Amino acid sequence: MTELDTEVLVVGSGAGGATTAVTLAEGGRDVVVLEEGPWIAPDRAEAFSLEEMALQYRHHGSSAALGNPPVAYAEGRCVGGSTEVNSGLWHRIPGELAERWRHEYDIDGFEPETLDRYAGLVEGWQSVSPLPGEAPASSAALADGADRLGWRAVEFPRVYRYPQGGRAEKQTMTRTLLPRAVGAGARVQPDSRVHRLLRRNGRVTGAIVRRRRPDGTTEQLTVRADHVVVCGGAVHTPALLQRSGLRRGIGGGLKMHPTIKLVARFPQAVDHDDVPPHRITEFSPDIAIGGSASRRGHIALALADGGADATPADWEQMFVYYAAIRSDAGGRVIAVPGAATPLVSYRITDADLSRLARGLVQLGRALLEAGATELHPSVRGGTVARTPGDLARWWDEIDRSTANLMTVHLTSSVRMGQAPGRTGADSWGRVHGVTGLRVNDASLVPDAPGVNPQAAIMTIAARNADHLLDELRS
Amino acid sequence: MTARPGAASTAVVTGAGGWLGRNLVRALAGEDRERIRCLVQTPAEATLLEIVSPAIDPVVGDVRDPAAVTELFEGMAGTTVFHAAAVIHPDTKVRQLFDVNVGGTGHVLDGARRAGAGRFLHLSSNSPFGANPTPDHRFTEDSPFSPHLSYGASKLEAETLVRRAHERGDVEAVILRPPWFYGPHQPERQTTWLRTVRRGRFPLVGNGTNRRSMVFTGNLVHGLLCAEVAEAAPGRAYWIADPEPYAMADVLATVRAAFEAEGLPVSGGQPRLPRLAGVVAEQVDRAVQSAGRYVQAVHVLGELKDTIACDVSRARAEIGYDPPTTLLDGMRESIRWCRSRGLSL
Repeated sequence: MTELDTEVLVVGSGAGGATTAVTLAEGGRDVVVLEEGPWIAPDRAEAFSLEEMALQYRHHGSSAALGNPPVAYAEGRCVGGSTEVNSGLWHRIPGELAERWRHEYDIDGFEPETLDRYAGLVEGWQSVSPLPGEAPASSAALADGADRLGWRAVEFPRVYRYPQGGRAEKQTMTRTLLPRAVGAGARVQPDSRVHRLLRRNGRVTGAIVRRRRPDGTTEQLTVRADHVVVCGGAVHTPALLQRSGLRRGIGGGLKMHPTIKLVARFPQAVDHDDVPPHRITEFSPDIAIGGSASRRGHIALALADGGADATPADWEQMFVYYAAIRSDAGGRVIAVPGAATPLVSYRITDADLSRLARGLVQLGRALLEAGATELHPSVRGGTVARTPGDLARWWDEIDRSTANLMTVHLTSSVRMGQAPGRTGADSWGRVHGVTGLRVNDASLVPDAPGVNPQAAIMTIAARNADHLLDELRS
Repeated sequence: MTARPGAASTAVVTGAGGWLGRNLVRALAGEDRERIRCLVQTPAEATLLEIVSPAIDPVVGDVRDPAAVTELFEGMAGTTVFHAAAVIHPDTKVRQLFDVNVGGTGHVLDGARRAGAGRFLHLSSNSPFGANPTPDHRFTEDSPFSPHLSYGASKLEAETLVRRAHERGDVEAVILRPPWFYGPHQPERQTTWLRTVRRGRFPLVGNGTNRRSMVFTGNLVHGLLCAEVAEAAPGRAYWIADPEPYAMADVLATVRAAFEAEGLPVSGGQPRLPRLAGVVAEQVDRAVQSAGRYVQAVHVLGELKDTIACDVSRARAEIGYDPPTTLLDGMRESIRWCRSRGLSL
């Protein structure tokens, strides 16, 4: 059995893990990062393609939270985590929400100035920038539809670099923070799944790891560490903690942005290479409206959700859009003994379903205004809308048995704060009831923020990693 | 009667075929408004309103339908909006509360903003506040929210949309919070209630000292017209109710007195149920609603034990609210209205 010693073990290499690793490694600490998924070169799969989904998403992109209706979810499983596959849209934590979290969960050091400082720091690392030229047609349709209705819409900046004359580069963790961490001495090891954490006398001392060798065989590895920081995302972080015997405040209170989609047909071909940077913000924070990855396969999948069984010949005139909501509901993550994947459940409320219907109707209005000729909702038996008058039928058609829901944003399964009973970790991510163990990823974010959560995750992770660094130095 | 100073020359009324709507539209028609654009659910409701006044201009449609709401606001720049469309007792499914009360409010706010409407008067409820902690307690406008079940949650979410629209300058909004109505143009459920009280079959739950604020529809219409013009009103919320809450036992006694004053004899005694019956009903209601279902009788029984009482001081002070009709007179008017429609009491 192989053994490894380190000062800090970081479990997971996504937005939370990479931020933690770079902060500590550049701060002069000895860091090992373990990633369950493989290393995939950033340009190997075409961006936003089904090939990318198969290579870099967990279960090839098809996991589901149980419930009525179930909610399909997707999360990255590769070095860099979901930052390798997401849209890269960047949105700071809405200030009003951060203040509410600070009071509700009694979070220390969560003042607006602190969050702004860390958000600014991370934005510098990540080259957050707007599109250099005009937005493509798929994105402009959102802006145009909103404009005709007098609605607010925003072109969001993204974590992209646009080299002169070169190809746009999404600033994923494998391009930004992980190389820096490695440059500062961190060891990043892919294909290494942490089975459980080692504990002795109330202190976490390391982890038992199963590593897949390049030849396909596996070996068990014991990593001993003074500090362990778990950054496996809102599903796998609580599952690992539960497998390690930590259950209080862990895995309950899962939050997400339930999302419903439609396929719009336009009179002419539209672009398919990118995800639209425009969002309709008129209904925020309750409802976010935007565009999805829309390559041929995505269009076929989304049409199949509505009951169609073939990709139409004119698929190039089609594009997938979505409405995502802030949800009243909550869910749970429960590690199942012997199973690699935990049980995830989520209870969509009537208020949620209504908000999803409202979002889809409003999305439909904007797209019809923007010139779409047909809207196919991801609703079994749903009306294909051609005029604004058709949209109202969706209210009754969207119910628990017909709606196809999905999400790419999962949070809040190990909430942070001093409030007893409602949090799984303290204000800095230190897991309650044990020493030497921190969480530093989406699990800490107290609620689904109504916007892409990557900025929130990295901001909080940078702040918490600094806190650990200070502790190690003193 | 001519339009009051500050009142808009036109009005848009949603829920115009409903209990409040029919009272409100008649009052507006009596004020010489040039046009009263009304959203109603059926052609029959439209016909009933059209005969009231030539100024009434009904649009038949669903408040969830953006096309209908667009039509409702066509050419209505500067209009006052009375948003009264809402579901209080859904047919069977809780979803309807959210679709209509929240989704509908979203559409109407959007229509009003795009049309360049004037003041937006939003009809809310006591339900975002739940029940008072003690029989002597009165809700003020600053009391904390504690929404009662799905209806309360839907009305609170609707208020949130209205407040947000006001704060970002989309509309100039006022929120009015009426409790339990009584008055003419009542729905079938209220006629049944009057009949049951007359025959001595409506139970008191507990000892009958729990208090309920109620509002005569005419008093509520008066409150709305005050809020339309009051300078202090935009961005504010007001309780609009009869001056004082009533002990539940007094409500039933007054209804019976109203019947006698109208020459209709009453019968039976006063049946009583232990307070526990109301507690059990509320638990059953909660369970049924969490499964997405709604049973009106259980919901009502669950609320009968509670004190739901508010203080109208702010409306009196800031918008000149001065409700003219008493409980006895309002109940007598309701009884006369029922008889004029040939409804069996």
